[in-house]
Amino acid sequence: MKFTHMIKAAALIGAVSSVALMSGCSTNPSASLNGMKGGGHEYLLTVSRPNQLHVIDTETNKIVRSCDVPGVFGQGTVEPSPDGRIAYVGTNKWEDVAGFDITNCDMVFFAKQSDKTVTVKSFVSLAVSRDGKELYTIQNPTRKLSDRYEVMEPQLAVYDTSAGLDAKPIRTFPVGRQITKITAMDTGEVILGGPDLQAINPQTGEIRMLSKLQHWDRPADKWVQPDAFAMHSLGEHVDEFIMPYFTIKWNGDPGDMEKAEFWWGMSRVDLKTGEVEQTETVPFEFIIFNFITDPEDSDVIYGAFNTLSKHNIREHKTLAVHNMEHTYYDLNMTHDRTIYVGGTSSDISIHDPDTLEKIGSIQLPGDMSTSGMRIAYLK
Amino acid sequence: MNNNKSKHALLSVSALALMGTMLTPAASWAMDGEKVIQEKCLSCHTRTGNPETPYSRISQQRKTPEGWQMTLQRMQHRNGLVLSSEETQAVIRYLSDTQGLAPSEAAPFRYVLEQKPNVVEDVDPAYKEMCARCHSNARFGLQRRTEDEWKELVNTHMAIHPTTELHALARDRRWYDIALNETAPKLAMDYAFNDAAWKQWQKMAKPKLEGSWSVAGYMPAKGDYSAILKVVKTSDNKYSVNLDGHYADGSLLSGNGAAQVFSGYEWRASLTIDGVSMRQVMAASTDGTSLTGRMYQSAHDEIGGDLRAVNGSAIVGLSPSALKQGETSEVTIFGGYLKGSVNLGAGVKVLKVLSRDADRVVVAAKASASATVGMRDVAVGATKAKAQLAVYDKVATVQVSPPQSLARIGGNGGKIPKVQSTYRALAFSAGKDGQPGTDDDLRLGYMPATWSLKPQNEVAEEDRDVEFAGTIDSNGVFTPGDTGPNPQRKMSTNNVGMLKVVASVKDGDSTVEGESDLLVAVPSYIKRAIQ
Repeated sequence: MKFTHMIKAAALIGAVSSVALMSGCSTNPSASLNGMKGGGHEYLLTVSRPNQLHVIDTETNKIVRSCDVPGVFGQGTVEPSPDGRIAYVGTNKWEDVAGFDITNCDMVFFAKQSDKTVTVKSFVSLAVSRDGKELYTIQNPTRKLSDRYEVMEPQLAVYDTSAGLDAKPIRTFPVGRQITKITAMDTGEVILGGPDLQAINPQTGEIRMLSKLQHWDRPADKWVQPDAFAMHSLGEHVDEFIMPYFTIKWNGDPGDMEKAEFWWGMSRVDLKTGEVEQTETVPFEFIIFNFITDPEDSDVIYGAFNTLSKHNIREHKTLAVHNMEHTYYDLNMTHDRTIYVGGTSSDISIHDPDTLEKIGSIQLPGDMSTSGMRIAYLK
Repeated sequence: MNNNKSKHALLSVSALALMGTMLTPAASWAMDGEKVIQEKCLSCHTRTGNPETPYSRISQQRKTPEGWQMTLQRMQHRNGLVLSSEETQAVIRYLSDTQGLAPSEAAPFRYVLEQKPNVVEDVDPAYKEMCARCHSNARFGLQRRTEDEWKELVNTHMAIHPTTELHALARDRRWYDIALNETAPKLAMDYAFNDAAWKQWQKMAKPKLEGSWSVAGYMPAKGDYSAILKVVKTSDNKYSVNLDGHYADGSLLSGNGAAQVFSGYEWRASLTIDGVSMRQVMAASTDGTSLTGRMYQSAHDEIGGDLRAVNGSAIVGLSPSALKQGETSEVTIFGGYLKGSVNLGAGVKVLKVLSRDADRVVVAAKASASATVGMRDVAVGATKAKAQLAVYDKVATVQVSPPQSLARIGGNGGKIPKVQSTYRALAFSAGKDGQPGTDDDLRLGYMPATWSLKPQNEVAEEDRDVEFAGTIDSNGVFTPGDTGPNPQRKMSTNNVGMLKVVASVKDGDSTVEGESDLLVAVPSYIKRAIQ
């Protein structure tokens, strides 16, 4: 069995090399990629305890390499660079950011955000500009004074990705509290996934509203203020950002649970245009931590937790449900629509998008806990 | 004895520091807590210049001894404070006595100091989601702070638990802003630093606790007990204690240990009773006539029961506390040094005094078939107690106490032990109107029962929770299942479950059932003196 895989892997590497040679590049990409495939080949990135970044080939579903991340396990946030070469990892209890070349595990970037008196936490907020030149975090600083703590204003910190291993912010701009997931758009702005969806211009600090959630305009006697929260993957396979939320619609008096409807909803942003669609998606019958969109039909979304489920958001219908072997926290998808479900434990469960049946599994050396699973499209 | 006491201290975090001084060989001098504060705390805290509240952050708060203990633990854990055991004791002593809570301030939340399990709190909506989604109401209800201090506490949360504002029920609102500008000012009103109760209590003469006390209590799996608690002062606020008595079934109970009293009324004792390390957390009444609280196993604080002590000779309880019309039964009257003839009230004949001990009198008694249904006063010689014995026609309802409960899986080679839960069957007769569940129902007290479990709902049935979540024994003690994933369960889930605890009480030829809800939950990894 092992032999077969090795032979298959060797054959694939050989094939890639010959393609690269035939393309007439001046350098040998297969050599520069250390045997990995370029051309947008999809590598799944995730982090497991004690603190390792794993690079997984989605063609073989095998770990290509595991890179030791300095510091204690953070939250497992991973952010690939646009060229798929660098994986930025949140580490050290939500404080530091380390960037690794996924072709050789070389650490090429490191930002220590805290200092002696100021502790800076970035809650899964890590984004890279669309040109790969800048890295963004949301910093939540507190200062330890002699006998008390000072709660400081959160800020967007902008780093130069070429700053090396002692990176310092080159610009900072004040932002609101409670921001988790962020991502960069083609507009140059950075989406701030917090109580509301906002976009900040990282050059000027100017903030505009994308999608009101905590401050939405719906009447309080009809709708409960949504519980919006994102920790995991966002929709890079279709170039979008999804902030899921939960809300209650009161059909009777507020608080009348008998007549109430319980809804999942989402604010979905097109990263190319910045266009936002906010809609209730499916009745709250399943727990999910994130939604991903089907690349072939944007009306179809998937979610996972104790079940993997597939829904049509226009018809508010659940199309399929698959019971999982244990609880998982997040899911992601490759371009060929293969579903990867991970988080919590030490395995990634692979599923068919049409039947939702399990078609494979990847065993990691440690628990993923809250780690994200992101796809790097290696150029 | 000293060895046993060392074990207490190691086994439980909750009373570790409070018991610490007992471990030190009778220090002939009392360390000055204020001096320790000045020497050790003022490297970070500053002098305010106000003699009323001389030290920053410290002088603007009042807490229970356990509250101050937690503060010192946090300072040691987070901020590099180094204190010897004696210094810790001295600071807790000083702050509890000078910045403690008045008896009336602590009264609503004593259950948490007593480590009493399965208390369901009724929390003000303003605090329910802002504070009580993580803490018990008692955690903040047992603190008094100035408004600025409550605000500093919010900031401490943001610094040391930075995800607080991202939790469910926090991320749907401006948590920090609300906590700082709405919750903290309300806390400063509801739990005010400058409250007259404390000033008044400081001026009052404190109860004297030396002497002999008549004790009644309950211990799971063992039953009701009576005892004499002998308290001898060893130094200021410190006592040696002996507890000797009987369980209702006649078996002996014997132990001794040491106690401290904080804030003039907060009784904390550590005893070894029949080889088991136990703790007492009680409050002395302001007149010094009674001590009430709970005694529990040091290593398993859920295994314990209420304890009441009355100074001197007194009738403090009966077991059983109800007789059926026409029934002959042994009745034990709990009380210290009871002398004279026993009177159990109209229609109840004392057939024979079976035994007399320092802590109890056991009699054979018969309720006549025509005895009126209702409560009877009880007297032994000149010592009397009101409404101690119920005479009843039949058991109409049974309530399982506690009505809602929580046990926790554990053990299985892990570091966290299982947390059991214990039950009693409380019986009622229907009262004059013949209708159970009405105001005139007659409380008959706790009765023997057979115990069983059933699923709480359809999901529990489907998941076969009864099979996995644990077992209940003939004493009403529930032992939860092992911790960790269980491959035999759906999704390899652990042995959590939702159960109903069923008590079946025999009353003549009929059986009356009662039930209560039990949630078998995951282990609690963080144990604090005040949860």
